[in-house]
Amino acid sequence: LPICPNGGTNCQMSTGDLFDRAVKLSHYIHSLSSEMFNEFDERFTPTRRFLPKSVISCHTSSLNTPEDKEQAQQIQHEDLLNLVMQVLRSWNDPLVHIVSEVQDFREAPDTILWKAVEIEEQTKRLLEGMEKIIGRIHPADSGNEVNSLWSGPPDVQQSDENSRLFAFYNLLHCLRRDSHKIDNYLKLLKCRLIHDSIC
Amino acid sequence: LNALSPPGKPEILKCRSYEKVTFTCWWKPGPDGGLPPTYRLLYTKENDQRVYECPDYQTSGPDSCFFDKDHTSFWILYHIYVNATNALGSNVSDIKSVDVIYIVQPHPPTNVSLKIEGHNDMLVKWLPPAMVDVHTGWLTLKYEVGVKEEKDQEWEAYSIDHQLKLKLFGLTPGGNYIVRVRCIPDSGLWSEWSDASYIQIPGGTKGTDL
Repeated sequence: LPICPNGGTNCQMSTGDLFDRAVKLSHYIHSLSSEMFNEFDERFTPTRRFLPKSVISCHTSSLNTPEDKEQAQQIQHEDLLNLVMQVLRSWNDPLVHIVSEVQDFREAPDTILWKAVEIEEQTKRLLEGMEKIIGRIHPADSGNEVNSLWSGPPDVQQSDENSRLFAFYNLLHCLRRDSHKIDNYLKLLKCRLIHDSIC
Repeated sequence: LNALSPPGKPEILKCRSYEKVTFTCWWKPGPDGGLPPTYRLLYTKENDQRVYECPDYQTSGPDSCFFDKDHTSFWILYHIYVNATNALGSNVSDIKSVDVIYIVQPHPPTNVSLKIEGHNDMLVKWLPPAMVDVHTGWLTLKYEVGVKEEKDQEWEAYSIDHQLKLKLFGLTPGGNYIVRVRCIPDSGLWSEWSDASYIQIPGGTKGTDL
């Protein structure tokens, strides 16, 4: 058992430390997601030009997430925490799909695969951390309903390379976006709950 | 009269948000075709087929459109284009797709101050750029301090997470130093460098400047 500062053996990490770790993880996950998206975009789309205008909405777009600073500051922190959890949980299955799908793309470099695996791993850890935080802040709330917002990969012919690439492009675009939302909301929550909004 | 023609194709130069609350886009007019053209910046938003027009052509100066906070949403794509029209016809720019999250470029840090501490140590301090709210966590900035002796070519760079100061140790006695600071949001673009600040470290042997 760990030796606690005050000699006891039942010490635990402070909520502030938990938040620090969560924010570091969310920041790391978002930068990996951005790099993976950019790398895929550079390698696979120059010839195919998936125009951003053709991006279809993300599987999480039905969640009522704040879209600007004012909305994000007005929302109750319990609701914002729950939104973070819903977005996080909604990526469990898609991340498994991303890891398996990227291995099927012939020219996909190992660096994209490595990032996909790393994001899947770190997202699980972030989810565990968030469950601890919520367990501290709202013990009653720590239900872990499973979110099945994602209806699985689009129904495209395995042989239709273009459609598969576009579906994957769209998924990475959504991952980059949602990982930034999670990162941003956690930074807001940390300032609000741990530093009384004076970060 | 035959020298007159519809206006040339305008080009959207860039879009920037300085504080992750509002944003501005600038465009470059094409040739005017000999007749005074009018310009309209139009845009659609992700999953919304309606066409909107620029809410404010004034605030950010000529050939620009300012989106105030009521017209700025994050995590959605704006598809922006400019339409130039004169009496003989019109021309449209290419579409520029923008997610405001990724065009945040703050102004440089402010109030950079240098102070000698001990014999040849220096404390560098600064403040976040104006108009940027770093207290609520909506925008998180990291900083980079550039330091060099005046006689040197290369800058030494120090990355700073969120603090607003840096202490430098063991500087050259008698050395003339230049310091500058810049910042970057958690996802976005580096600011420009702050103005350079100058300081001389005490000490050093007399006549070393020959």
